[in-house]
Amino acid sequence: MSILKLEDVGYRYKDAPKDQYVFKNINYEFEQGKTYAIKGKSGSGKTTLLSLITGLEKCTEGNVLYDGKNLKKMNLDKYRNTDIGIVFQSYNLLPRLTAIENIILSMDVSKVKIKKKKEKALELMKSVGLSEEQAKRKILKLSGGEQQRIAIARSLSYNPKIIIADEPTGNLDKETETEILNIFTRLAKEENKCVIIVTHSQNVCDRVDCIYDLEKK
Amino acid sequence: MYILKNSLISIIRNKGRNILIGIIVLVIACSATVTLSIRNTANNLVKNYEEAHDIIATISFNRQQLSEKFEGGEDAIKNNIEAFNEIEAITLDNVKNYGDSSYLKNYYYVYSTSLNSDTLTKATDKYEYEVEDKQTTTSTTTSTTGGENAGGRMPMGGPGGGGERHTFTNRNTTTIITRTKETFQSGRNLTGDFELDGYSSYDGMTNFIDGTYKITDGEMITDFENFECAISSELATLNQINVGDTITFKNPNTEATYDFLVKGIYKDNSNDDDSANMYSPSANTIIVGSKIIEKLVSDDSTLVTNITPSFILQNEEAITPFSEEVKAKGLNEYYTVNTNLEELKTATKSIENVKTFATTFLAITLIIATIVLLVINMINIRERKYEIGVFRTIGVSKFKLTIQFVLELLIVSLIALCIGAVIGTFLSKDIGNSLLQNEIEATQVANEQILDNFGKGGKPMDLERATVQVQAINEIDAVVDFKVILQLLAIGLGLTIVSSLASMISIQRFSPLTILKERS
Ligand SMILES: Nc1ncnc2c1ncn2[C@@H]1O[C@H](COP(=O)(O)OP(=O)(O)OP(=O)(O)O)[C@@H](O)[C@H]1O
Ligand SMILES: [Mg+2]
Repeated sequence: MSILKLEDVGYRYKDAPKDQYVFKNINYEFEQGKTYAIKGKSGSGKTTLLSLITGLEKCTEGNVLYDGKNLKKMNLDKYRNTDIGIVFQSYNLLPRLTAIENIILSMDVSKVKIKKKKEKALELMKSVGLSEEQAKRKILKLSGGEQQRIAIARSLSYNPKIIIADEPTGNLDKETETEILNIFTRLAKEENKCVIIVTHSQNVCDRVDCIYDLEKK
Repeated sequence: MYILKNSLISIIRNKGRNILIGIIVLVIACSATVTLSIRNTANNLVKNYEEAHDIIATISFNRQQLSEKFEGGEDAIKNNIEAFNEIEAITLDNVKNYGDSSYLKNYYYVYSTSLNSDTLTKATDKYEYEVEDKQTTTSTTTSTTGGENAGGRMPMGGPGGGGERHTFTNRNTTTIITRTKETFQSGRNLTGDFELDGYSSYDGMTNFIDGTYKITDGEMITDFENFECAISSELATLNQINVGDTITFKNPNTEATYDFLVKGIYKDNSNDDDSANMYSPSANTIIVGSKIIEKLVSDDSTLVTNITPSFILQNEEAITPFSEEVKAKGLNEYYTVNTNLEELKTATKSIENVKTFATTFLAITLIIATIVLLVINMINIRERKYEIGVFRTIGVSKFKLTIQFVLELLIVSLIALCIGAVIGTFLSKDIGNSLLQNEIEATQVANEQILDNFGKGGKPMDLERATVQVQAINEIDAVVDFKVILQLLAIGLGLTIVSSLASMISIQRFSPLTILKERS
C-alpha cells in the first residue's frame, strides 16, 4: 500500500498567466521502505512539487493523499510536525539557535512523545556525521554541508514515515554525497521510511529504487 | 510549554530589540505610575474632603420672596412686620420631624435664646451710667429737646415707650405736647443681653471644627443636658470669670434665674469682622447644650428662641428628594432648603483640575506609546518573517506561533513594567506630593487641630469627622497603592495586546513558502 499518492496533480502560480502550469497531470505513488528520486532540471518545478507534498501549498488541480487521506482535509500543522520530515533546499534552520536546539525544537513541536530529547538529538547528529562540539554551535557558524546534515537530522528527529529532501546533496562533495545517500538508503531499508529525494543529479538517481522525471509530462 | 521556552530563548537571543522595547515600556510604565498615583491621590483627597465635609442642607428664610410679596413704602413697614410675624418660624419639633429622614446621615441644630444677667456685665461698646439731671428751664426760653429712649430694651413685639417731646413756648401759655411712638419689632429677635446657643452635638459646632473658635482654657461642655457652658474669653476677662466658676442668667420675662458651670473659655479667632466694635460679635455668646434651651422653654414658653438646623445628607443624590420631603412635611413657602454643595465643589476644584490633567497626560502617553510599539512590532515582524516561515514549515500552528510572539512581548513588557513601576513609585512620592502638597497639608493640619480646638487634647470625643479624617489621611500617604498596580497591569496588558496586533495579523495572513523562497 502506498503511503503517499499524487492524483492528477497540477499547479499554477497565482500570478502566472492562466494556462501556464508549472506541471500538470502528475500521478506518482510512494511506498514505505523505498527510496525515490524526483528528477528535473533547474526551474522544472521540483521545489514547487515538494511544497505541494508537504502541504505548504495547495494543488491547483488534483489531490495529494497521505495514507489514503486527502491533505486538503487534514490538519497540515500536525502532518508536518509528525508524519513528514522535510529537508529544504535552503535548510531553513533558525540562525539564532544552536544546531542541537534546532533539532530539539522540532521534537518539541511534534505531537510524537519523545524521551531524553538531548541524547536522541546527539545520537541523530552522530549518525549524520556531526560532533558534539558542532552541535553546540550556532547555525551560521557551520558550513553549508554541516547545515544540510543538521536539516536531515532535524527531519528525522520525530521519526516520521516520510522523509522528503530538496537537493540534499547539492552542496556536498562526492564523498559526503555518498555518505548522505547511505543514510537515506539505510532509513528506507532498516527503518521502513519512505524517502523522497528531489534532485537533478544523476548520481542520486543511480542509487534510488524508483525515479520520477518531472520533465516527462 | 515549548511555546514559553521558545519565547524565553527568543527574548534572550534578541537582546537589542527587546531592550529597546523594554526601555519604551519602562518609560511608559514610569510616567503611567506617576500619573496614576497623582490621579489616585487626587481621588483620595477629594474623597477625604467629601468625607470630612458633609453635604449639609440648611433651611433659610427667603427674603427675596418676602420682598416680592410684601408692599413697599414707609407706610407698609408696620404691616409687613405684622405679616412677617405671622409666617410660622421653624420649631424644634419641625426640625426633629425633618431630621427623621432616610436621606440623612444625621442632623444637628443650634437652639438659641437670650437671657439677661444681674451679675454679669455685657461685653459692649456702650457703657450706661446714671447721672443726676440738672435741667433748668425758664418760661421765656424757646427750646426744642429731642426725646430720649429709656435704658434697656423694649419688650419684644409690642409697642415701646420711646417718644419725642417737643416743647413749644409762647410768651404767655406753655403747651407741652407729648407724642409717644410705637416701636415695632419682629417677634423673632432675641432680646436678652446674652445669647445662649444650645448645640445638639459636637458636630454642630462648626466654628470649633473649622478653627474659628478655639478653647483656650478648660474644655468644651461635656454634657448636653447639664447646666454647663463655655464662654468667650472677652466675657471672661471683663467679668473675671475662671473655669469652674458658676455664672447666673435671668429670664427677661419671668425673672427666673439659672446657674451655669463654666467648663471652658473660648477665643474667637475670626478676623473677618470688619466692624470697628470693641468686642467681637461672639463676645456675649454662651455655648450650652440644646437640652438646656428646651428646659428654659418648658419653664417659659414665651421665651423667644431661634433654631438653626443642619441636615447632613447621605449623598449628592439625596438633595432633591430631601428638600421635596421637607416641603411635603409642611415647610413654609417662605423657607428654602439650601446646601453647601457648590461650596464643596469649589473647594475640590483645584484637585479635580490636577486629576483631569493627569488623566489627559496619561491618555496621550498611552496613545503615543501604543503607536510607537505598534511600529516597532511591525518592523520586528518584517525582520522575523524568515523565522515565522521556519516555525510554520516545521508544523507550529498559527495560533501557537501568535501566542509565542505575544508572550515574548508580554514578558518583556511585564519586566519593564515592574521596573518602571518601582522607579515611578519613587518619583510619584515627590511629584505627587509637590503637586498636591497644599491640599494634603490642609487636610492634615485641620485634622490635628480639631480635637485641640475643643480643648480635648488627646481625650476621645464623640465627633464623627475627626475619625473619618484620620483614616483618609492614611490612605493618602500610600501614594502608589494596590489600585494603581492593578490599573498599571491592565494598561500593560492592553498595550501589549494592541501593539502585537501587527504580529497577530501578519502571522494569520502568512504563506510560509513565499517567505522561505524570498530567503533563498
Ligand atoms: N512565486 C512564484 N510565482 C510565479 N512563478 C514562480 C514562483 N515561484 C517559482 N516560480 C516558477 O516556477 C517554476 C518552478 O520553480 P521551482 O522553484 O519549483 O524550480 P526548481 O525545479 O526547484 O528549480 P531549482 O532546481 O533551481 O531549485 C520556475 O520556472 C519559476 O520561475
Ligand atoms: Mg528548487
